[in-house]
Amino acid sequence: MAHEDRRRADGRLSNLQFVIAGAFSILAISFWVLQVVQHAKFKELAENNHQRTLALRAPRGMVFDRDGHVMVENRHSYSISIVREQTKDLNRTVVLLASLINVEEASVREIVDRHRSEPIFRPIVIVQDASLAQVAGVLAHRFEMPDVVVEEVPTRRYPDNLAAHLFGYVGEASDVQVARDDELKSGDIVGKAGIEQIYNNLLMGEDGTKTVVVNSIGREIPDRPGTDKVDPVEGKRLQLTIDADIQRAVEESFNAFGYKGAAVILEPNTGEVLAFTSLPAYDPNAFAAGIDRATWNALQSDTFLPLNDRAIQGRYSPGSTFKMAVATAALEEGVITPDFKVYCPGHANFFGRSFKCWKAGGHGTMDLEHAIEQSCNVYFYTIGNMVGIDAIHKWATLLGLGEKTGIDLPNEVQGLVPSPEWKRENTKTHEKWYAGETISVSIGQGAVALTPVSMAVYISTIANGGTRVTPHLLKAIDEGRGWKPVPAPAPHSQVSLKPGTVAAIHQGLWMVVNSAGTGGRSRIEGHDVSGKTGTAQVISLEGGRSAAGKTTKDLRDHGWFVFFAPRDHPQIAGVIFAEHAEHGANAAPIAKQAMETFFAKKEGRPLPVPIKPQAPPTPPREELRVAEGPASPANTNSASLVNLKPITP
Amino acid sequence: MFERRLYYHIDWALLAAVLVLCALGVAMIFSTTADPTRGASHLYITQLYAIVIGLGAMVVMLTIDYRAFADKSHLIYIALLAALVYVLFLGSTQMGARRWIAIGSFNLQPSEFAKVGVALVLAKFFGENRSMPVWTDLAIGAALTGLPLALIAREPDLGTAVTLLPVFLAVAYLAGMQLRILGILCVCGLLAAPIAWTFALKDYQKSRISTFLDPKKDAKGAGYQQIQARITVGSGGLTGKGFKQGTQGQLRFLPVAHNDFIFSVLAEEQGFAGVLVTLGLYLFVILRSLEAARLAKDRLGSYLVLGVLASFTFQVLYNITMSAGLAPVKGLTLPLMSYGGSSMIATLAGFGLVLNVRMRRFTN
Repeated sequence: MAHEDRRRADGRLSNLQFVIAGAFSILAISFWVLQVVQHAKFKELAENNHQRTLALRAPRGMVFDRDGHVMVENRHSYSISIVREQTKDLNRTVVLLASLINVEEASVREIVDRHRSEPIFRPIVIVQDASLAQVAGVLAHRFEMPDVVVEEVPTRRYPDNLAAHLFGYVGEASDVQVARDDELKSGDIVGKAGIEQIYNNLLMGEDGTKTVVVNSIGREIPDRPGTDKVDPVEGKRLQLTIDADIQRAVEESFNAFGYKGAAVILEPNTGEVLAFTSLPAYDPNAFAAGIDRATWNALQSDTFLPLNDRAIQGRYSPGSTFKMAVATAALEEGVITPDFKVYCPGHANFFGRSFKCWKAGGHGTMDLEHAIEQSCNVYFYTIGNMVGIDAIHKWATLLGLGEKTGIDLPNEVQGLVPSPEWKRENTKTHEKWYAGETISVSIGQGAVALTPVSMAVYISTIANGGTRVTPHLLKAIDEGRGWKPVPAPAPHSQVSLKPGTVAAIHQGLWMVVNSAGTGGRSRIEGHDVSGKTGTAQVISLEGGRSAAGKTTKDLRDHGWFVFFAPRDHPQIAGVIFAEHAEHGANAAPIAKQAMETFFAKKEGRPLPVPIKPQAPPTPPREELRVAEGPASPANTNSASLVNLKPITP
Repeated sequence: MFERRLYYHIDWALLAAVLVLCALGVAMIFSTTADPTRGASHLYITQLYAIVIGLGAMVVMLTIDYRAFADKSHLIYIALLAALVYVLFLGSTQMGARRWIAIGSFNLQPSEFAKVGVALVLAKFFGENRSMPVWTDLAIGAALTGLPLALIAREPDLGTAVTLLPVFLAVAYLAGMQLRILGILCVCGLLAAPIAWTFALKDYQKSRISTFLDPKKDAKGAGYQQIQARITVGSGGLTGKGFKQGTQGQLRFLPVAHNDFIFSVLAEEQGFAGVLVTLGLYLFVILRSLEAARLAKDRLGSYLVLGVLASFTFQVLYNITMSAGLAPVKGLTLPLMSYGGSSMIATLAGFGLVLNVRMRRFTN
């Protein structure tokens, strides 16, 4: 290294030394100013510097029925939480708090432990929906517990206690949900079922925050830098297609008869759901502020499965209500015409076996309209056999059966209309279809298993002449600037039926109600109610005899009633499914009550008087006491008993 | 390769000061991450592992003659660029930035090693030049620095990228770059600032700078940290609140207290006395290293020491200024003390080179 070079480098290194030493000196002086000269000021700031940020929970959006009647709202409740950021001695806080709110120390500790890994500034809610006594107790001791806060939170309220399964319920977001959705944080309230779940993103508002500065004993110090408030934004308001009056009429009628079951009532041209129920129900209010373990366990272990939404998750044998699908298949495939006649002697032989009609002496000679009116099994055995299982499957599907309807509710299950392919794929030995099974399917027995909501779509398709509507519940959204209508979802599909087909089936259904059929109890003068009853066996006659006295299970049959009105330009259509009602005729009065409410509102008349609580009416004996034992091999299929039970989602 | 007598020339005083700073860092990390409601966290253990690995790296850097490293500096430089490009496209993302290569459960941050790599390549480049650097030399040196700098800035990690600048400036300065040119570079930088403001800076970076100019404007967001840093330091007083007794750090008023703001916590808990001791240690480390640069046998060694030292010094000064709330908040850690494995290993490896140069000042 050149000498001169070296000297220059040494000089520059010295310069650097001085610069760095100078910089360090300036730093030392700065710290001296901050820490020694201005210490008093910063010390006070630090002591008062206990900023606390509280979440202001946004109320969820309110839900209205189609007339603007409030169906879900919010009430104020108080929650008591621990904010560990302010805690000096967590143990002491837990002991003191537990005694003040009269809760076991262990359970308070357990809640705290569960939220241990969360940031310490986030409040851990110990009591939701606290009683006034609890709130008063905590507030009286707030100076001993600066780390316990009482917050006012909006809580869901379902004032009418109607349509529990439709609205669903809310609860704290699970850890899985929180992990999956960035928008969610632990402790957020989200919809867990029904409308609350499927429209959660609309209903959930945006939480606000309130940042306050508190001193070391938890007293708020106003107007300090750091005090801040971001107001919560309420969730969007939803208007549903539901008509609260019809909804109430349906549920009150079910209760008057003491039936469990399900009902779905539609506007048959658009698919708007006017009423939707599943019974027995739960009280969604019990979930609103966090359900307690005992209530939850009771709901879960209830043999009547109140948590199951029978309307979209229960699958039941449709019985005679299926006959219109068979009739449609036979007419559309050109196998018969409406005046095709069959003689019913009370039974018929197919493939070497005898299949009975419900009327022991037989119906005599029947055409299609009368066969529907009288629900003659022999007629439908015959045409079902003529048209074949593939056509039945095809047309039943086109009418809306055996597939999901696409209703805007979570966890809808698919029904089943059997076909040879289905049997091949779903039996272990890839069994082939037996022609005898077609006979059973022709009267809605065998493996056929359908959800009430799909039955509502089915009868709507028949009512409107071929449009398979998508049932839907959301009518309009209010984001704070007035109602904006939500366009109805497009129909699932459309099939053009021959005018003769529609006319004949409509006439038959009209006669069921208005002539000699089984639906007379839904007749409303001047409104041309059309409908069809059906009875679903819970157990075969033979099985019933052998089980008699050996089980406490209710083995009485289920009753169906599908309906629409008026016959020519239908405005309302739907299904009533009454569990263990023994006969579809017993479901008809519920439909009548719903339709009367509908027409009364439409025509400005007072609503009908609710049905008085009464013992279930005894049905006319008819129709289904037939295919049993060896006569219906499909019934030995394990599906027949199992699929009558609601299916857990 | 490692002659026994070299052992006697190791600068034990420098090494001791470095280790004391590391120990202070571990103590502060323990203090800030131990949660009164949750018990101790394992972060300080991780830091101890990093120190052990870093000492291993230091031994490697010591053992091999720095001239051997310099001979291979172009390879090291290319490997470094490759790692930075890899990170940019395939690195693991945390908090919106791609900065890490995940190796098992360990995240390696190549940009930390860039400082040492650039120091090596620049020392080699300017060390081979016999005469005063001319414009072309400066341009090549700037390009060698600018390439990794741009890659790191793209991650984005502007803080770490900027620490490469002092490396170039310091080496060029020592190599005899005229002060006039340095002045021109500074003027150019000032002129480029508004352009950078408009095009190159991300919103969060802009907000940090504008918040620094007026912290109360955003007392909850970026300004919050600055106000809190000042309160933290100021409330420490002459002797501090005591180990683990700091309210500011403990109650989480300061975010990432164990990382960017570790010096604030030290100031709070150990007071002005602790600050003076720590500042003294850092100053000792830096001046002692400058001495190694002066004593170096050749230009290469002297440039190398200064290159390593430049980014270290810049970061120490900036971080401590920021810790007192006197500079915009930027993701720059305090070398040797802040929590962070890659930074610790790279820094200790760098000091390995410093020790290496000093130790070999008599060898040929």
